[in-house]
Amino acid sequence: MITCLEFRRRVGAEPFASDAEIEAHRRECAACARHQDELRSMDGLIRRALVVELPVTTMSAKALTAAAAVSAAPLASRRRLFAIAASLVAGVAVGLVLLVSAPRASIAREVFDHVMHEHGAMATTAPLPPAELAEVLGPDGVRLRSGVGDVTYAARCHFDGHVVPHLVVRTPEGPVAVLMLRHREIGKPMRIEDQGYEGVVLPAPKGSIAIVGKEMPDLDGVAKKVFDAVDWGG
Amino acid sequence: MNRGDGDTDRRRRFGSLCESLRPDLLRFAWWLGRDRGLAEDVVQESMLRAWKSFDSLTDEGKAKSWLLTIVRREFARTFEKKRLEAADVDALVAAESDLLSAPADERVAEMRNAIFRLDEEYREPLVLQVLMGYSTQEIADMMGMQQGAVLTRLFRARARLRQALGFAAETAT
Repeated sequence: MITCLEFRRRVGAEPFASDAEIEAHRRECAACARHQDELRSMDGLIRRALVVELPVTTMSAKALTAAAAVSAAPLASRRRLFAIAASLVAGVAVGLVLLVSAPRASIAREVFDHVMHEHGAMATTAPLPPAELAEVLGPDGVRLRSGVGDVTYAARCHFDGHVVPHLVVRTPEGPVAVLMLRHREIGKPMRIEDQGYEGVVLPAPKGSIAIVGKEMPDLDGVAKKVFDAVDWGG
Repeated sequence: MNRGDGDTDRRRRFGSLCESLRPDLLRFAWWLGRDRGLAEDVVQESMLRAWKSFDSLTDEGKAKSWLLTIVRREFARTFEKKRLEAADVDALVAAESDLLSAPADERVAEMRNAIFRLDEEYREPLVLQVLMGYSTQEIADMMGMQQGAVLTRLFRARARLRQALGFAAETAT
C-alpha cells in the first residue's frame, strides 16, 4: 500500500496514472482521490491553455518541399518550382479560409484529442461506485442504465469551453470513452479514425454524444448499446 | 515506379505529414521560445531540414516525435546562433499579450499566463505530456534525461501552476 505522499507524488506527475496501487489508495483515501480528480480536471484546463491558435503567415509545408527542391534544381526549372510553391501556398490559404468558416466541424478532432490526452483513463479497470458516477452525471441531468458495462472512469472534464461528463465504460467488446456533449448540437453523425482509435459523434436528445474505442471491430454496434443506455432525463 | 513517380510520392507524403503536424510544431516551438516570430523561423527551418533527411524516417507513425526532435534541436541551434539573451519574461508577456489574453474563458487565460511564466525546464515536459500526449518515458528519450527526472519536473510544474492559480500547496517535492 502506497502512502499519501507517494500517491500525490505519482499523480502530481501523471494525473491519469492508474494501476492497482493507485486504485487501492483511491478507495482507501477520499482526500487523495479528490486530489487526483482535481489534478485531472486541472490538466483539462492546462491542455486548453496550451492550444494556442497561431496565425499562419509563413510558407506551407508543401510549398517548403518545393522550395527545398529549388536549391537542387537547374535554373531553368526554378521558376516552375516557385510557381508550384506559390500555387500550393494559395491552395493552403483557401483551405484555411474554409476551415475558419466552419470551426464547429472540428468536434471530431477535439474529441479525439481529448481522448488521446486522457488515454490513461482507457486502461482503468476497477468499477466505480454508483455514487461516484452519479456525482459526475448528476449536474447534467443524465443517467447511465446498468447492463452496458462497468464504468471504470468518470470525471467532469473541460471540453470546448464547457464542463462535460467523460466516462470509460468497459463493454464486453472492450473499453470505450464516452463524452456527453449537451452543449454541442450536430446535424448528423460524424466518424473519428486516428492512430488505431475509432469513434463516432452522434446527435442526442440533448446535444451530442461521442463514443470512442480502440481496434473495435463493431464500434457502431457498441455505440448503439451505449447510446441506448443513456437516460437523458426529462 | 520510376524516379519521377518516387520523388512525387515522397513529396506528397512529406507534404501531407507536415500539413497535419505543422500546427502542433508551431505551438511546440512557441511554447519553447514564447515568441511567434522565432517559432515560425524555427519551424520553417526544421521543415527544410526534415525534408532533406526525410529518407531517414523509416516509420512514418513516428513522424511527429521525429519532427518535434528536429524542432527542439533547431530551437537550440537558433538560440545559440543568435546568442539570444534570456529575455525578460515581462517583455515576452507584453509582446505576446494578444495570444495570452485570447481565451474567452478567464481561467484558461489565467492558466496560459501561468504556464508562460514557468521555467523552460518545467514548461517543455509539460507541453510534451499534456499537449503532445507523450508518456514520461518518451519525453525522457526525447529530452535525453532519466524518466525519474522527467517525473520530478512534471510534478513541480503542476505544483507551481497550482500555487500560481491559488490551489492548496503541495506537500511532496
